[in-house]
Amino acid sequence: MTALLAGVAVVVPALGAPAGADVRTTTVNITLTPRTCAPKPAKVQAGQIQFNIKNKNAGAVSEAELRTSDLSHILGEQENLTPGLSGGFALVVQPGRYVINCPGAAQQHAAFTVTGKSKAAGWKTNSSLAGAVSGYATYVDQQVADLVASSQALCAAIDAGNQARAEALYPQTRVYYERIEPVAEVWGTLDTSIDGRIDNPVTNPADLEGFHKIEELLWADDTLDGASPYCGQLVQHERQLGQLVSTASYDPVTMASGATDLINEAATSKITGEEERYSNTDLIVFQANVDGATEVVDLLKPYLQRTSPSVVAQITQRDQAVEHALAQYRATPGYDDTGYVEYSQVLDRQRKALSAQVQAFAEALSKMSGRVA
Amino acid sequence: MGPMSRRQLLGGMGLAGAATALGGTVGGAGPFAAAVAAADSGTASGAGANRTYPFYGEHQAGIVTPAQDRLAFASMNVLDGASRGDLRDLLTDWTSAAERMTRGRLVGDDSDLDDPPLDTGEAIGSPAGGLTVTIGYGPSLFDGRFGLGSKKPALLADLPPLPNENLDPDYVGGDLCIQACSDDPLVAFHAVRNLARLGLGVVDYNWMELGFGKTSSTSSAQATPRNLLGFKDGTRNIKSQQTGLLDDYVWVGDETDQAWMRGGSYLIARRIQIFIENWDRDDLGDQQNVIGRVKVSGAPLTGGGEFTAPNFTKKNGLGQPVIPAGAHIRLASHEENGGTRILRRGYSFTDGIDPVRGTLLGGLFFIAFVKRPEQFVSLQQKLGTSDALNEYIQHIGSGIFAVPPGIRRGQHWGDALFA
Repeated sequence: MTALLAGVAVVVPALGAPAGADVRTTTVNITLTPRTCAPKPAKVQAGQIQFNIKNKNAGAVSEAELRTSDLSHILGEQENLTPGLSGGFALVVQPGRYVINCPGAAQQHAAFTVTGKSKAAGWKTNSSLAGAVSGYATYVDQQVADLVASSQALCAAIDAGNQARAEALYPQTRVYYERIEPVAEVWGTLDTSIDGRIDNPVTNPADLEGFHKIEELLWADDTLDGASPYCGQLVQHERQLGQLVSTASYDPVTMASGATDLINEAATSKITGEEERYSNTDLIVFQANVDGATEVVDLLKPYLQRTSPSVVAQITQRDQAVEHALAQYRATPGYDDTGYVEYSQVLDRQRKALSAQVQAFAEALSKMSGRVA
Repeated sequence: MGPMSRRQLLGGMGLAGAATALGGTVGGAGPFAAAVAAADSGTASGAGANRTYPFYGEHQAGIVTPAQDRLAFASMNVLDGASRGDLRDLLTDWTSAAERMTRGRLVGDDSDLDDPPLDTGEAIGSPAGGLTVTIGYGPSLFDGRFGLGSKKPALLADLPPLPNENLDPDYVGGDLCIQACSDDPLVAFHAVRNLARLGLGVVDYNWMELGFGKTSSTSSAQATPRNLLGFKDGTRNIKSQQTGLLDDYVWVGDETDQAWMRGGSYLIARRIQIFIENWDRDDLGDQQNVIGRVKVSGAPLTGGGEFTAPNFTKKNGLGQPVIPAGAHIRLASHEENGGTRILRRGYSFTDGIDPVRGTLLGGLFFIAFVKRPEQFVSLQQKLGTSDALNEYIQHIGSGIFAVPPGIRRGQHWGDALFA
């Protein structure tokens, strides 16, 4: 995972605001032919550029990308243009030399040059991206606040001796953590205290605490005895987390890679059932991982829709496929009021089918980070 | 048909160098064309596929031997009812068979048409490819079944629970291990298969792994290979030329409580699953930060070439270390581990598909040779807790084995242990 708070974002000088009020828009037309994808004009002034792309008759060519001259970064692209279709993307491009890349054409690379003075760049001056980042900070703060409140309700049920209520509140509380897990994981020891489980990374059973200790007591040991102090410590750790995230700063790249990490997490440890091994409430936290990723997508979408519409389209399609796959296991009120069946009821071949959809979703999400850099 | 007896095996042995036929029908030089046994010098004879390494020597071959391309590794358990004598005889049979195979010969050359072939035959015509066969003894071998309790080295014990492991009980431990390495996968497999065949009635398979690509170089003459992460692995491994480091970190010396272990080592095997689909969708910049190296060149993030020493104190413009705090090469470095090093001999593996995740079940079959098991344990306690790579890997199998020293011609594996 890209460290969320480390300020090590890769700076790509070319990419800036898709739509600034002070920026003049230039139109560049690209026609895909079997031979080439030469832009017209091939040299423009720095600023907002609208790339209009049309596939005239190129059966073997279906996309065009704007890349840095060393081909290492894709700055904008339009995919899936079969002959007769048109599309495009828009972004602010800084002065420099670039390449229009159209895989499959006889001459795949066409030079593109931007002249003039550099325009304000970077996500902080881009209203779409800046809005996404502040929106994400608000989201994380809210999730942690809800996490604390829900955990306090869980502790109250434990202290009242109401095991059924505690078992219903445990998975509901987990949801708030699982939506923002890549953020919380930045503070490793705090993450272990809150969400550590046996083997990962806790090796000594006596050291287990937090959610999964409570889970073990409620389900494996079938008791509330001893749970109260663990719950109190859990709330304390969550409050520490709340203080840390309230001063944290984010950027678009780490938001995007965090979304991928959430779905990686679902694909790796939720699918096997190892995360909620005592309670079998994996499906609701699985949904929480998906929700946390979808939140990031929704926040970045206004920007990505302009620069990389085909990336957004693929993410949307695969997100729907995951939701569809999960919907098969919804139930009312469901196992322990989770809204889902007990995960132990989901057979290995069904888990494998779910995994395939989740893997595809994660793969689509991973294309965001390089496009919001 | 019973298992081949020791007498049959030894009776079938010929002298080195003679190309002989199986069943009297196969002619030609076959695997033996260049199989002139080298003196006990530790250096290779022959070149390319015909390369052979001496079986006899101060240390067993297959430890500092330049890492061959392929691996076959078996963990075996002694069967209930097998006796001390059975075990000793088996080790003697294994010695003879392994010595022949490492010369590029078959286990036995002559077969009667009325008998099952002495050798299983799949490697007929295949040069040795630098085959080495290395054996080790697991802690459980010393549990009293064979009167070996007093021979157990004090340092040989099952590994403690380690962070970020989720061990499959089907891939843990073992009374004995066989490590066969060759540039030819068939030759490596053939060695394990034939030793297992000789062991029928005495031992059976506990678990087995095939490694399809080496991930560590053990000689400065070798280029550094890549693991399934796509990164060069083992750039800073101990090399066979570094004899002082080998004495300090690999070879058991006079400090051992068991004379039979002097010149030996401890082999630690870890079957490490890599969640390669997750890794493949991590951005390149982060992949490089996780490892601490540039992916293509292998150079440390602090600059230079592959073999330039990493600068762990160098900071970037934001005041953060250029090689991040959780980078794999930082946490694994001898600089950050009180000077401790280990000799690695890893191989990429795949066992098909993870049955639940549906993703590739593969990764790194990690082998380390150490003078003291604690070298590995302390390193892994650190890595398992803090390594940025943990997000993409999980240890799913484990074994530790005491690797006895090498033997001279005329001696057999087990002679010193059972003395």
